[in-house]
Amino acid sequence: MNEWIFFLLLFLTPVVSSVPIALAYKSKEWTERLPYLSVFGIFVSVLMSLYIFFTMEGQYSWPWLGPELGINFVFMCDYLSRYMGVVTAVIAFFIAIYGLDYMKGDYRPSWYWFCFNLFTASMLLVVYSDNLFLLFVGWEGLGAASWGLIGHWFRDDDDIAYVGKAGRKVGPLELSWPPSSGGWRAISTIRFGDVPMFFAIAAIWVLAGNLNISEINWESLFMGIGAAGTIILMLCFLMGLFTKSAQVPFSEWLMTAMTGPTTVSALLHSATMVAAGAFVFLKVTWYIEPWNLHNVPGLELVYTIVLFVGLLSGLYGALCGSGMLERKVLLAASTMSSIGLMFAAGAASFWFHHEIAGMNLALLVGFWYMATHAFAKASLFLVAGHLIHATHSRFLCGGLEFGKRIKPAFIATIIATTFLIGMPPLTAYWVKSGMDEVMEHLYLHEPHIVLPIILLILTSLTYSAIMARFLSLNFIKGEKPEHEHLEGGGLMKLGYSMMVSVLFILLFLIFINEETAGFVHAGYMSMSFVVGVGALIAYLVALYVPRISIFSRVPGTFFNDRMYLPYLNDYITPKIGFFISYMVQEFGNRGIDAFFNTKVIPGLFGAISKGIRKIQIGYLNVYVKIVLGFVMLFLIIASIGGIGL
Amino acid sequence: MTDLTMLGVALIILTLSAVCSFKFRPAGLIGAIVALLIGLNTCNYFPYSIFVFLIGFVNLLSLVTLKSEIKGVDYALVGLMTLATMYIFNTSDFAFVLAALVLVSVPTYILVMLREGGANVELGVKYISFMVLATVLFLIGAVILFYTKTAFDGFLYVLGYVMLVLGLCIEIGVAPLHEWVPDVFASGDPIPISIIASLAKIVPFIAALWILVYTACDLTGSITMFTAVLAVISMFTGNIGALTSKEPARVLAYSTVAGMGYLLTCLVVVSKPELIYLALTGGLLFLFSNAAGKIGFFNAVKSEGAYSILMFILAFSFIGVPPLMGFWGKLFILITLAEMQYFWLVGIIVLNSVISIPYYVRLASELGVSWEANLSNLICLVVVIITLVTVLFVPVEWFFSSMEAIAHTVGIAVLK
Repeated sequence: MNEWIFFLLLFLTPVVSSVPIALAYKSKEWTERLPYLSVFGIFVSVLMSLYIFFTMEGQYSWPWLGPELGINFVFMCDYLSRYMGVVTAVIAFFIAIYGLDYMKGDYRPSWYWFCFNLFTASMLLVVYSDNLFLLFVGWEGLGAASWGLIGHWFRDDDDIAYVGKAGRKVGPLELSWPPSSGGWRAISTIRFGDVPMFFAIAAIWVLAGNLNISEINWESLFMGIGAAGTIILMLCFLMGLFTKSAQVPFSEWLMTAMTGPTTVSALLHSATMVAAGAFVFLKVTWYIEPWNLHNVPGLELVYTIVLFVGLLSGLYGALCGSGMLERKVLLAASTMSSIGLMFAAGAASFWFHHEIAGMNLALLVGFWYMATHAFAKASLFLVAGHLIHATHSRFLCGGLEFGKRIKPAFIATIIATTFLIGMPPLTAYWVKSGMDEVMEHLYLHEPHIVLPIILLILTSLTYSAIMARFLSLNFIKGEKPEHEHLEGGGLMKLGYSMMVSVLFILLFLIFINEETAGFVHAGYMSMSFVVGVGALIAYLVALYVPRISIFSRVPGTFFNDRMYLPYLNDYITPKIGFFISYMVQEFGNRGIDAFFNTKVIPGLFGAISKGIRKIQIGYLNVYVKIVLGFVMLFLIIASIGGIGL
Repeated sequence: MTDLTMLGVALIILTLSAVCSFKFRPAGLIGAIVALLIGLNTCNYFPYSIFVFLIGFVNLLSLVTLKSEIKGVDYALVGLMTLATMYIFNTSDFAFVLAALVLVSVPTYILVMLREGGANVELGVKYISFMVLATVLFLIGAVILFYTKTAFDGFLYVLGYVMLVLGLCIEIGVAPLHEWVPDVFASGDPIPISIIASLAKIVPFIAALWILVYTACDLTGSITMFTAVLAVISMFTGNIGALTSKEPARVLAYSTVAGMGYLLTCLVVVSKPELIYLALTGGLLFLFSNAAGKIGFFNAVKSEGAYSILMFILAFSFIGVPPLMGFWGKLFILITLAEMQYFWLVGIIVLNSVISIPYYVRLASELGVSWEANLSNLICLVVVIITLVTVLFVPVEWFFSSMEAIAHTVGIAVLK
């Protein structure tokens, strides 16, 4: 059977189908029609991903740069990628349908659709690649496409695309970012991680001689390079994942990525880009099997770092979200929080060996949370986009009256938020119960630390509150919007309705699947139930009191300003860069210049050259003396050396 | 007719045409060209002979612009030098080799003094003093070496080797015995100097290599270091000296000193005679590209500039940019040295090629002017075509096989 055709269609159709619109960028007539072709391209990917889901399993390989190099087209259809492929393709497809309406009348549809489809194709490549080099190709595709999409409205001519209040200054820094700056912040941050990641992949290639994640002998690789080597290698690799997934302290780009069209935000936050980091972490951990490698020195430290980076990002995101005033930025902060929990769950697998159907429960928890979150968060973003269209405002606003007039969005938000926060007995409750069990395990068993479960509970409660806040301030208790534009938007409504309905399917799957039985089991435990009820209470309280006026200045502003992390990103880091650049210019370049170009070497050569030419004074008697002198000298040396030979 | 008879005929034609040229000037040129053609027919090794023929021919052509007092005879002198150079591989006779050396050397004594409206006697004295010293050292060295071939004596061998190499060094201008070169090159007329810098360098190199290989013994391996050290001194002296020289003729003088340093490194091959064809390939390609470049540049000096593109092609050939002939010459020299395990010398040659870049580029840009149809540009065009021959015909096979055949002639087994 020629399986390659399915992969080819899966990856190439989205890209090829968006080439016509990219080429027809000058024709208004064609750019209005051709988006349907682009959406069809993604639909083909959906069909392919479903075909792969139901019929294909195991590794598929075709030669690329040569079998002897170990860099080939190698795809893995394992549990993670089969599910994730469907999640990615379906979400991209629903968002694309929504986008047909949302992006109508935009000033550069060709750019948008080409980048959007490239984004989807790149993520699919990341999902299915078993070869790290091939994965990195998709990874870079994600980076390039995200830059194009976040900065899509590059003219910076509409305040609706900004992040932060225009003109608001705190200290020397203006806390307001236009789309052009958003794109730049994204690409510069992820490049910062991609370079060490690339070196890590190169190191793995050199050390293991193989780049196929499922085939690398990770244990011998780690044992070969010792504790320090393992830590450096894994941290370099993780730099790529942390920056892509916007974990602290690399989260800033994600907040200003909201300058892109909402469809982009939805895709970016659910099934691509930020999810890519967490997904690759789960995928690699799946094959490293760290729970079997407790003998490897240094690996525990690596997983501890990931655990806490994840948990701290989770709490940081949730807290920041509690102070956010902008619709999409609130959701962005909550995404960062969720992704943090995915990392944490995956990292906990190091200590948690409980297996169901041959799979580690901690990794399953991380993955199922990713899937649930993807559909719920994509729905919320699509709703936010509809609201921005309807109210002409990117800030949280809309009372009950407004909510009644925009019922589909209202209902979708209720479903998405309640299904996501982990209230019993909805979808995320079961997954979160599994997560509670994992973190509780870290306290009760190895390594006996209580902090993870505390951080998880705090994050869960805050997270519930901010989701309720989103619902309340947009549909129930928000201020009356200045503009109301409720006509049309049929495809938008269809988009998020389909998206949110998948959450019911996921709930169903959790109950019927063999491997998710562990979640259900965890859901019946009292600890999980208490946390679930706590989340519900936090949700209800925040729904009723979405704003607490005494907290709105402090710490509300502090949270809204993302705890002033923008200073690290926009002020301190550039200052360090400028300082290095200054030092290089002032001392490095000038020194190098003086050594090679202006003083030392030219001076030396000039002096020697003049010395050589100095003997040319034109007098024969001097020349004869010199030459005869040398001849005599050489002959004497030869005579002495030759005696006795 | 035998080779010798043909050679005799050529010599007679040369002499007669020189005599006739007192009455009819162009007779000298015509006679010299006819003699060269006969020589070309006589010479057994095709690529080598055609290169020498072309260099001699271009030298003759460039003499047309020089209005000397012995106009006509100067053609015969260059013709004689070219014939001797062509003939050197036709013989395995020691006496003929030494005769060829003298035949190539002596005409330059007269040529160096040529200038328009008189004779440059002072320069002649300076040049001849060194040449006499060089020839004497070379000949005595050669005789001693041949003596040790029949009755071996280590002391005499070393003495003979050093004298021969010193003679060669003075003759071709290797530092630190190069003092005559900058003065002669800068104050002589560019046309005769271009002959001294091109044609006159080939025979001394071949003769030295021939004699040293023929007389090689167990001591040779250890004494080649002496040659290598002289070569290094010469390369650095020439290249660094040229960096701050302003006058084009003086830059070319130092470039010759450096070039002869590269050439001298080929002599380290004498302790491994089976590799001589490599050294011959490298040395001769280097000498041909050097001759082409020197003729082009000196003609440009004479006519105060030549077509810019031609100048740059010659400069790149000198630097050793592939696929020009200068590159192949240096490449085979480097291969020879690598085979001889002289890796440090390889590094020094590469380093020196880098040092030489600025002054060659400067020389080309200073001498480069826009196109004008004149004899000087024609000559430059011909030498550039010679330099570009290796672009069309990469000289791995045809030059190589010819050099292997030559190595056989001089009685040395070639390892395949």
